[in-house]
Order: sequence, then C-alpha cells, then structure tokens
Amino acid sequence: MSMAAHYRRFRPGDGVKVKHLGKSGHVRIPFYVRGKRGKIVNFCGSYLNPEDLAIGNTAGPAIDLYRVKFAQRDLWPDEEIPEHDHLVIEIYDHWLSSAESSEGRH
Amino acid sequence: MPSSDHIENHSHENHEALVVEDDAGNLEGQIIIDALQDVLVAHGLLTAPEVLKEIEKLESPGIHLGAKIVARAWSDPDYKAKLLENGKQAIGYIGITVGEAQIIVVENTPKKHNLITCTLCSCYPRSILGQPPSWYISKAYRARAVREPRKVLEEFGTVLPHDMELVVHDSNADMRYLVLPESPKNLADMNEVEMESLVTRDRLIGVTR
Amino acid sequence: MNSKNKTENSPRGYHDIGGEAAGAIPRAELPWLHWEKQTEAIRNLLGDGTRRIVSLDEMRRGFESFGAEKYKVLSFYRRRLDAMIDVLIEKQVITREELNEAISEKRAVWSKAATREAL
Repeated sequence: MSMAAHYRRFRPGDGVKVKHLGKSGHVRIPFYVRGKRGKIVNFCGSYLNPEDLAIGNTAGPAIDLYRVKFAQRDLWPDEEIPEHDHLVIEIYDHWLSSAESSEGRH
Repeated sequence: MPSSDHIENHSHENHEALVVEDDAGNLEGQIIIDALQDVLVAHGLLTAPEVLKEIEKLESPGIHLGAKIVARAWSDPDYKAKLLENGKQAIGYIGITVGEAQIIVVENTPKKHNLITCTLCSCYPRSILGQPPSWYISKAYRARAVREPRKVLEEFGTVLPHDMELVVHDSNADMRYLVLPESPKNLADMNEVEMESLVTRDRLIGVTR
Repeated sequence: MNSKNKTENSPRGYHDIGGEAAGAIPRAELPWLHWEKQTEAIRNLLGDGTRRIVSLDEMRRGFESFGAEKYKVLSFYRRRLDAMIDVLIEKQVITREELNEAISEKRAVWSKAATREAL
C-alpha cells in the first residue's frame, strides 16, 4: 500500500462553512457555529476524533483540525457588534465544506 | 444538596450561574470519591499512593508558570516569536512540561484584545496554570463570553475602545490558550521578577488587559 | 450533499450553551477542595497510558448524557464524578452494587466520627 503524502483540504484564508452533520452523541462543534461561514486561520494538526473516543473507539483515523475565524456579526445577527470583532474556534475537517464551491450552498 | 447562595440571578434563566455545594454536598462528594477509590483499589486499578502523587502533580502548576512564560516573551523578542509559532515547544524550552496537545498563545496589541472561554465544558491550560477560577467554569461565563464578550469584560472592569478588535477563542477541541498581554511601557527598567509580578490570571484569560 | 434549507436535525446538547441567555457572572473565588482534586486525580489515572479505562472524552459523554436535570443541579466536580462512575459501570469495570456498599461503609465511618465529636 503506498504511503501517499497527507492531503490537507484547506489553507489559511480559505472560506469554509460548518456543516449540519446532524450527529447525535458527543460532538465538539457547538450549535452556534453550525451552518456558519468563516475563514481558515491555521491548521492545528491531526487528532483522534472525540466522537469516536467518547464511545471508547481509539482505533479510528486522526482527523485534521483547523482554527476557523468568524465575524461575530455573522454569528449573532441580533446583537450590536462592531464589524471587526471575531470569534475563533477549532473545527474538525469532516465538519467543514469549502465555501468557495457549490458544496454546502443551500 | 447544592445551594444557590452564590447565585445572583434567580429568575427564569435556564442556567444557574454557578452551582455551589454546601457542606452536606461536599461531604457527600468526599464519601463517594473515597468509596470509589476503595473499590478501584480493590480491583487493582489504582493505589492510594498513586492518587496522592497525582493530586500533588495537579497542585503544582499555577499562575506563576504563566507569569514566567509572559515575562520571558516580553524580555526576549526571539523567544516571543518562538512562543507564538509553537507554544508547547517554546514553553518546554523554559522547563515547563505541557500536558495538553498544543498551546496557542494569542497576543494582545494596542489594536487587538483576546478573550478565552470553553463554552462546552471548562477546557483551560491546566498543566501550566492549574485549575481555572469558578467564574470561568460557570454557565454564565460559558454562555455569554461568545455572544456578548464586551459586556462580560465590563463586568470585570474592562472597557475596550470601540475600534479595538476583540477576538474570542472558544477552546473546544485539542488546543489550549494563553493570552500574551501587552508589555508594560517601562519594560527596560524592569527585571524578570518585576515583570512576572505584573502577570495575573485574569490577564492570561483575557478578562482584563 | 445538503438539501435545500437543511437545518440541524439532531437535538442540541444541554451542555452546548454558547450564546444562551444567562445572568451576571458569579465572582466568588471558591476553594478547590480535596474531594474535587481526588476526583480529578482518579480520572487522570484511569485515563492514563497504562490504564485507558475512562478517557476525558468518555467522561464528557457521560455528563452530556446523564440528563439535563442532573446537569443543571450538580456542581462542576460532582458532574465529573457522577459521569466517571456512569462510564465505569457502563463498561462493567465496577458494579453499582459494590459502589453503593462501599458508600454505605464510608457513611457509617463518617457518622461514627461525627457522633464521637459530638460527645
């Protein structure tokens, strides 16, 4: 089996959208960012998926983790927030789709 | 039973700001954990000396370690660059062992302020700073820090200029965060001990500048 | 993959409170008590490389699934203690019966000590 170089889906600055995965059980992606659009800040490394670890499955693949930046105005449209305020949070690769493509558009 | 003594808002809010155990609750906690420990020891899964040693290990980190890191970054621009590049590695260089996967150090500037929270539970760089303060783990802080951080900061006496960027970091996965506060103006007149004395827990979390 | 206007169709966890309304932030600095440190220590040991019996992720799943009412009324460390116990029982590392027996024994010791003090 060939050991292909690890292909990372996103680069800093890429536009992304957080998917509605509809997953129940232990997940680490809070409701308030689901369906929102942001930009990749940086790649954090690859880590075992907490969704697997929570049910004792330690044999799963490591998942790419990214920090993603959102405009606070986009997260909380009802609040009065300066346009330059942001929120940064860690999102696992399988929760992200590219916001540059048609994938994830509603 | 837990009491509401420390809760200021008894209204129809969903979340008690912070649940505090009374004496009976704390005794109950002690009884249960002692019983659990006995059972686990009986199963050969733990020993009592191990537990005591682990408690000592939990007690040893503290704000003094965060202060050491910040003072070094203030006095050494090269170190600061390394710290911002790879926090865990740089912190290791000054003899502090980090247990978490990675430490992201976020820098305050005259134009930007950073605030740390964990909305889902209480993630915090415990291997460096020790246990987080009660307010950090309170539901009030976890719920409000992401949505109305400027109001939250005002409760801590911190008023940010409108044109300053405020970045909130929700520590939800494998990264843990430290705020690097702005260095003092008279840095050149200080030694590292004096610098360390300026670094407080609240500055490292970001509720004060 | 996403259908038009797809929204979240799984329930929101009761722990997932980012953005919800809440009152003033309680500023009392509470001490870190021995039983709380002991709880943390035991969870760390159970999750370490030699044991891998209760991971941080499993414990989190524990308090995210033991019910909204418990989550609301229990203190932070009590939530972690109860979650850890739930996982240990679920994985059949210990039984509820043997734990309850050990708890009764401890209670008896405490009340004897309290009685002695009162005399």
